[in-house]
Amino acid sequence: MSFHPKMTYGAAFHKSARDLDPDRDQGPPFEYTAENRARFDRIVQRYPDAQRRSAVLPALYLVQYQQGHITASAMRYVAGLLGITPADVEDVVSFYSMFYTKPVGRFVLQVCRTLSCALNGAERVTEELSAKLGIKPGETDPSGTFTLIEVECLGACDRAPVVMVNDAWHECLTPGDAAKLVDDLKARGEAALSGCHHVVEKK
Amino acid sequence: MDTVSLTIDGRQITVEKGKTVLQAALENGIHVPYYCYHPGISIDGSCRVCIVKIEKMPKLQTSCSTVCAEGMVIETRTPEVVAARAGVFEFLLVNHPLDCPVCDKGGECPLQDFSYTFGPDQSRMEFPRRVFDGEGVKGDVDFGPTLMLNRQRCILCTRCVRFMRDIDGDAQINIIDRGYGSEIATFQEEGVHSLISGNLMDVCPVGAITTRDYRFKSRPWDNPIAADTICTQCSKGCNTTAWIKAKPEWAKGAQLIRFTPRFNHDVNGYWMCDIGRFEYHWIEGDNRLRQPLEREANLGQQPISWQELTSKLGDRLAAAGTSNPEGVRFLLSAHASHEELFLFRRLTEALLGEPNAVSVSWRYQTKSQPAGSKFIVPPVDAPNVNGARAMGLAPGKVGPVDNDAKADVSALRAAVDAGRVSALYVFDPGPEGSLGDVQWIVDARASGRLPLLIVQGVVLSALARAADFVLPGASYVEKEASYTNDQGTLQGATRVIAPPGEAMEDWQILVNLGVALGVPFTYTSAARVRADIAERYANEPGLAGIATLVFGRPVAARNWLQASNPSERWKWDFMFQDMPPVKGHVDPSAVPMPIGAIPLKEVK
Ligand code: SF4
Ligand code: SF4
Ligand code: FES
Ligand code: FES
Repeated sequence: MSFHPKMTYGAAFHKSARDLDPDRDQGPPFEYTAENRARFDRIVQRYPDAQRRSAVLPALYLVQYQQGHITASAMRYVAGLLGITPADVEDVVSFYSMFYTKPVGRFVLQVCRTLSCALNGAERVTEELSAKLGIKPGETDPSGTFTLIEVECLGACDRAPVVMVNDAWHECLTPGDAAKLVDDLKARGEAALSGCHHVVEKK
Repeated sequence: MDTVSLTIDGRQITVEKGKTVLQAALENGIHVPYYCYHPGISIDGSCRVCIVKIEKMPKLQTSCSTVCAEGMVIETRTPEVVAARAGVFEFLLVNHPLDCPVCDKGGECPLQDFSYTFGPDQSRMEFPRRVFDGEGVKGDVDFGPTLMLNRQRCILCTRCVRFMRDIDGDAQINIIDRGYGSEIATFQEEGVHSLISGNLMDVCPVGAITTRDYRFKSRPWDNPIAADTICTQCSKGCNTTAWIKAKPEWAKGAQLIRFTPRFNHDVNGYWMCDIGRFEYHWIEGDNRLRQPLEREANLGQQPISWQELTSKLGDRLAAAGTSNPEGVRFLLSAHASHEELFLFRRLTEALLGEPNAVSVSWRYQTKSQPAGSKFIVPPVDAPNVNGARAMGLAPGKVGPVDNDAKADVSALRAAVDAGRVSALYVFDPGPEGSLGDVQWIVDARASGRLPLLIVQGVVLSALARAADFVLPGASYVEKEASYTNDQGTLQGATRVIAPPGEAMEDWQILVNLGVALGVPFTYTSAARVRADIAERYANEPGLAGIATLVFGRPVAARNWLQASNPSERWKWDFMFQDMPPVKGHVDPSAVPMPIGAIPLKEVK
């Protein structure tokens, strides 16, 4: 809407260079599957009505669980469910590195680059993974199997360097281990995900 | 009133309980900088420039988010505070492009002002600055129909975010990404769509949010004249400031350069809507009436002198009035001020002996705003429905204009359609459309059912084009006139500029016309008219005080500090000028400085 004829909107004003969802206006509308909707309904019950918005993180995880990444349409959907604005949801999605706004590979390799890991050679690990997969951090390999990203502290600094693959930690990872991990994932799929040392030791 | 006493910079201060340390300091003329704090929106505590030392607290505290407590001892100018504050300022400028020469905020920018006063004199930044959408003004990107956004300049104070959340009621702005990548954004770059979006330019303490209307048009030092006035585009009556561009008399182009809101706790708070802010171009537009016109057979509307017009029109009206007093009717817009309504009323009484000849009309338009909005723009698009009521020209009593106060001109319309009206005098000093639907008048005139149509107004509307006589009047910024808003508050609008061409102030037109018709009007100024109103309507609450109403005046801003946007003008007025002890009360230089205090660098 515009209040002055000389201020018509939509003209070729300089647009932001921000990376937007190409389907933001016309893409298919998002909706939870019946199963996820039921999960969502259970989750919101944990919060008092006035704090319904607090369910935004689990609600977004459900979206990602359902379709792999979070589209503009899904953000609108979640905003509608929680009674907040789409801008509120986009704020959260863009804040957390574990929410993806673009499709990602089956395995997301998240290399910690914060101090302890950096001191213990995390950069080498990233380089090795980059070389092995032929992609730069932030990219997905052509087969759509691996996505490589750099993240901040994963909370396992005592076993630096750490790489988190999907939801599983891999600790004390030398560049050589990292390359082996990739081969292992290619060969055995999800079964190759070891988890952190607590998980490993319990096995 | 519960109070607490505390000490700031060695001075004993007593303030209302619940005030923050920052408020206490500002109210007492102690200079503490601030960005994220804005008196009209919630507190955030994110910019950190307001830090002070509070005794017994281990670290420096943000004064904007610390509530005053009894016996607090606060220092704002010890070396520790001064150094820490300068550090914050250095950080704020780490990525700031410092493109003040091409920035619209330049000259009225708190980032400039406070950085000069409190910041370090040099930056140690050796790295390239963060760039979002292009260097310089290429960084200005679309931010909705009324605004542009420059992310390079943003200091992430989140005032805009909180304005949309708290006041607009629709949180369209948020911060995306995190840390170094944080930027202000709307969902998928859709832009801000709000009826009160212009206020974002005011709340933004830097040149990150600018309005399309004012962008690149002027600099603060080109606006040496500002007049405090009121907006008359709806029944709210927001207090505003009209800014006049400095230019030589012979230069072409508009003088009015922008409108900004002016704080009035009871009427509009700190805000105004986009209609009042941006829809003023009709005042100096191409369609503006500048000359009296008369329709001549075969020639259409031709310019005519005021003298000739007054005498011809007087004759035609007198003739119509004597043959059929019932057939002379007046249709006034609720944009008419008290002075004008009053003169019309007196004119009709003297000529026709009855006030029923007058109908008052206005446009009624519900605005769509978010449910939780704190600033509601009323549906009545006229400033003076209550004035018409006070003078008995519209039904109802002075008081809150309720939400379905629609104008009713059906009786007049029926009379015109039935051919019972021989002369219709329409007065509308508002923009085109202020009277609501008037096509029926145009049609009646075209078909000959209405033999004589007179229009006194400001724009060459379809109605004015259909008229036999056109009298160019003055818009709300071209005359001293009074209005009673929808709360029943009487307010005066200032004469900011002169009416264009031969156009005249409306009270003067009416007095001249009255005299031509033999009505013994002796008013020599609008003030005299108001004095008479006060006498004749002594018991009317909506008009109480009209004789002594104080009007603003266009004043030269002495320096650019005064020519500042409202939130910042508030700052300069209160903090650096009006507040004790700075202005008149105590000389701050006479107050002994605490030991170790570092004197401030004042902006000269
Ligand atoms: S755009 Fe302006 S108001 Fe909004 S966060 Fe940035 S500096 Fe503050
Ligand atoms: S709300 Fe009404 S009075 Fe206030 S600025 Fe808008 S149009 Fe003018
Ligand atoms: S620094 Fe890598 S896990 Fe903490
Ligand atoms: S004004 Fe206090 S932190 Fe911003």
